[in-house]
Amino acid sequence: MTDAYANKFLTIDLSNGSVSILPVCDELKNRYIGGKGFGAKLLTDGVPSGTDPLGPQNMLLFMTGPLTGTSAPAMRGCVVTKSPLTHLFLDSYFGGSFAAEIKYAGYDGIIITGRADRPVYVWIDDDRVEIRDASDLWGADILETNLRIKAELADDTIKIADIGPAGENLVPFALIGCEFNRQAGRAGAGAVMGSKNLKAVAVRGTRLVRVNDPKGFARACATALSELSQSPDIRALALAGTAASVEFASETGLLPHKNFTYSTFDKAAKLGDKGQAKHLWLGTNACMGCPIGCAKIGAVRTGKYKGMVTDIVEYESAALMGSNLGISDVRAVAHLVKLCDLLGLDSMSCGSLIGFAMEACQKGLIASPPGIDLNFGNVAAAQHLIQAIAFRKDGPGALLAKGVRAAAEEIGGSAPDLALHTKGLETPAWGPRGVSGMGLAYMTGDRGGCHQRGFTVPYELAEEWEGKKIDPLSPQGKADMVIALQNYSAGTDTLVKCDFGTFGIKADTYADLLAAATGRQKNADCFSQTGERIWNLTRQFNLAQGMDPCSDTLPRRFVQEPLPDGPAKGHKISESDMAIMRKAYYTARGWDNMGKPTTKTLRRLGIEP
Amino acid sequence: MIFTCHKITIDKEAAINPFIHTHFDKCTGCSICQLACSMDLTGGYNPRRSRLDIRHKNEHLFHMPVVCSQCENAYCMQVCPVNAIARDTHGIVKIDAEKCIGCALCVQYCPVDMIHLDIDTQKAVKCELCRGNPACVAACPNGALEFITGPVKEPITHD
Repeated sequence: MTDAYANKFLTIDLSNGSVSILPVCDELKNRYIGGKGFGAKLLTDGVPSGTDPLGPQNMLLFMTGPLTGTSAPAMRGCVVTKSPLTHLFLDSYFGGSFAAEIKYAGYDGIIITGRADRPVYVWIDDDRVEIRDASDLWGADILETNLRIKAELADDTIKIADIGPAGENLVPFALIGCEFNRQAGRAGAGAVMGSKNLKAVAVRGTRLVRVNDPKGFARACATALSELSQSPDIRALALAGTAASVEFASETGLLPHKNFTYSTFDKAAKLGDKGQAKHLWLGTNACMGCPIGCAKIGAVRTGKYKGMVTDIVEYESAALMGSNLGISDVRAVAHLVKLCDLLGLDSMSCGSLIGFAMEACQKGLIASPPGIDLNFGNVAAAQHLIQAIAFRKDGPGALLAKGVRAAAEEIGGSAPDLALHTKGLETPAWGPRGVSGMGLAYMTGDRGGCHQRGFTVPYELAEEWEGKKIDPLSPQGKADMVIALQNYSAGTDTLVKCDFGTFGIKADTYADLLAAATGRQKNADCFSQTGERIWNLTRQFNLAQGMDPCSDTLPRRFVQEPLPDGPAKGHKISESDMAIMRKAYYTARGWDNMGKPTTKTLRRLGIEP
Repeated sequence: MIFTCHKITIDKEAAINPFIHTHFDKCTGCSICQLACSMDLTGGYNPRRSRLDIRHKNEHLFHMPVVCSQCENAYCMQVCPVNAIARDTHGIVKIDAEKCIGCALCVQYCPVDMIHLDIDTQKAVKCELCRGNPACVAACPNGALEFITGPVKEPITHD
C-alpha cells in the first residue's frame, strides 16, 4: 500500500561508523503517527535513566512526519534528544527545507548515536551514506559551514543542518542551524551534536513522497489552503510575522523588559513590525511548502551594522534580546540575533542570560568584565557576552555558558531569584503574571518552561475557553485548557505541523490530510488522543531521568513580585495559585499528587507502566 | 495587433510562443510550484523531480524562479542530433521521447539548465506547459508565476 511514510529510519553509530536501516513498524505509526511521537518513543526506548546528554549513549533524532515533504501546507521536522540544559526530554522544531529533504532521501528520520573520534559530517545522498572528515570545518560558523560543505560536494541544492562554535564548545543552549535562518533552537540540541563530534548532516534526496489517495489529498490540501486564507491571524502573520506581537505584548503587559522586571516597553514599536519594516525588511522568505510566509527577509542598509542580511527578528528574539535588555535599536537587535545564529546559540536563552547578567551586575552580584559596562541598554555588552558565551571565555562567558539555572546557583546569594527559568529552560518572552494559564503551561511543559506546548494567551486575553468565561488572572479553569492545548499541540507535532498553520487549518482537515496521505482511517480526535499518549510518555521519560515533580513551578519573580506596570499591575501568580492549578492539572491528567501518571492512566493510554 | 493577457499588454505583429513569466520579486521560495509540478508529472512530491527551479541567493534574500522560456531561438532544438525536439502548433517546445537517444546535448546547451535527463528513463525532459494549464502557475500562492499566451496560430485547449 502506498503511503506517505518512507517506512524506514536511517541509523548511524558514529562510534564505529556503522550505518543501518531500521524499518518503521505499523504499531509505531498507528500509536505515535510521526515526528514528536516517533521521537518520544525512540528516546524512551533507547535512552536509559541517568544517560549523560553529552555522552555517546544519548540519541540525536532528526524526525519527519507523514505530511513532511508533501504539499500539505506548512509542515516541518523536529530534533528529539535528551537535553543538556534541562536533562529532560527535548523536542525542537525547525522549518526550512531540511526535513523534507530527509524524506526525499527515503527516510522518516535519522537516528544518530555514539561519538566520532574526530570531527566529522554525515553526507546522505539517497541510499549512499558517507561519514566525512570535518576537521577543517571545526570552528567555522553556521553559515560558513553550510557554504563550504556545498562547495566541497559541488552542489548548492544540498540541504544541511549544522552547528557553530557554541555547539562544538558544548554550550547547553547551542542550536542546530537548518538551511539559513531556520533553527532547532531550544535547549541544546546543538551541544548534543557537538558532543558527538558531528559538525553537520548534509542531505540530498531524489525519491518521491507519494500519498495513498492523491485526489483526496488534493481536496484536503485545497480545504487547508482555503482555511488559511480565511483566517485573520494568518493574514496578519503573512503581513508581519510574529514581529507584530511586540507592540501587542507591551500593550497587554506580557512583554519582558529588564529581565522580566517590567511587562511593558515604551519603545516597543521600534522593535516590532513598524521598526522592522522600516529598517530591515525587503521581501518574504517562506519555508518549504508554506503559503503563509511569516518570515520577512531583508538587510541592514545603514549604520554600524550595514550590509548584513537579516531574517525577520521574530517576536521571541525581538523581546528577549531587545526589550528584555532595554535595547530599542532594531538594527542592533538584528545584529545580536544574527551573531547568535552564526555562532550557534539560542537567541532566546542567550537574551534571557544577558538580561540576568545585567540585573545581577546592577545588584552587585557579579562584576562587569574589564572594559565592558554591563548595563541594560548596552549593545556592546550584549555582543561581548554572546561571543564570550559561545567560546566559553574565562569570566562571565564561561559562567553564563552553563545556562541561567546553573550560573545563578554558582553565583549564589540572591542570584537564583533573578534566574528566569522552569526546569532549567530560560523563560520565553510571554510574562505570565497577567495570564496565569500561561504560567501553568510553563510549569508543566515537557521540555521545561516553553510557550509552544500550550499557548493560552489568545484565549485568556479574550476571557473565553470553549464557550466558557475565564478570568486571565485567576488560577481557576486553567488546567483543562492547558491540557487540551498541550495534547492537541503534541498530537499535531507528529505530522510535523507548524504552530502557525494551526491558526487556520482545522483538526478535521489535518485528519483528512493524514488519512489521504497514509490510507489509515483518521478522525479529528486522533490528535488529542495521540497527544495525550505522548504527553504521558514524555512525563514518564522525564521522571525516569530524575525530574523532581516539585520543579513543576515558576521562577520566583512571577510568584513573589507583583507586576509593577501594565494592565495586570499588582498581580502575581502566588504559591497558592500555583498549588490550585497544579492540583487541578494533575487530577485532570490522571496523575497522582506527586505528578506521576497512575498505572490506570498509563494502561488506558497503552503505555507500559 | 494589440492583445492583453492577464496584466501584460503586448503590441506586436508577430505571434509569440506561450511561456511562463517569472516575478522574482514576488517569489518567497516556498517551492509549492515545484511540488505541484512533480505531482503532475510523477504522481509524487519532490522539487528535484519538477521541471522548474528556484535559485535561492544571498542567504535567501532573493528567490529566483527559473522556467523553460520556450525560446524563440531554442538552442536545445538546434543541437538535437535526432530532431527529437520540435515546436508544436501552439508554439511549445516539446521532446519526443520515442526519438530521444539521451545524448544530453540539449542539456549541455540550455543556458538556464531547464532540460534534464529523467532519472528513470534517461531521456531528456523539460517543461511542456502542462497541456496549456501549467500546474505551477495555478499553485503559486504569491503570483510569482504568470502564464502568458499570445496570438498563437492555434489556441490551446485545456484538458
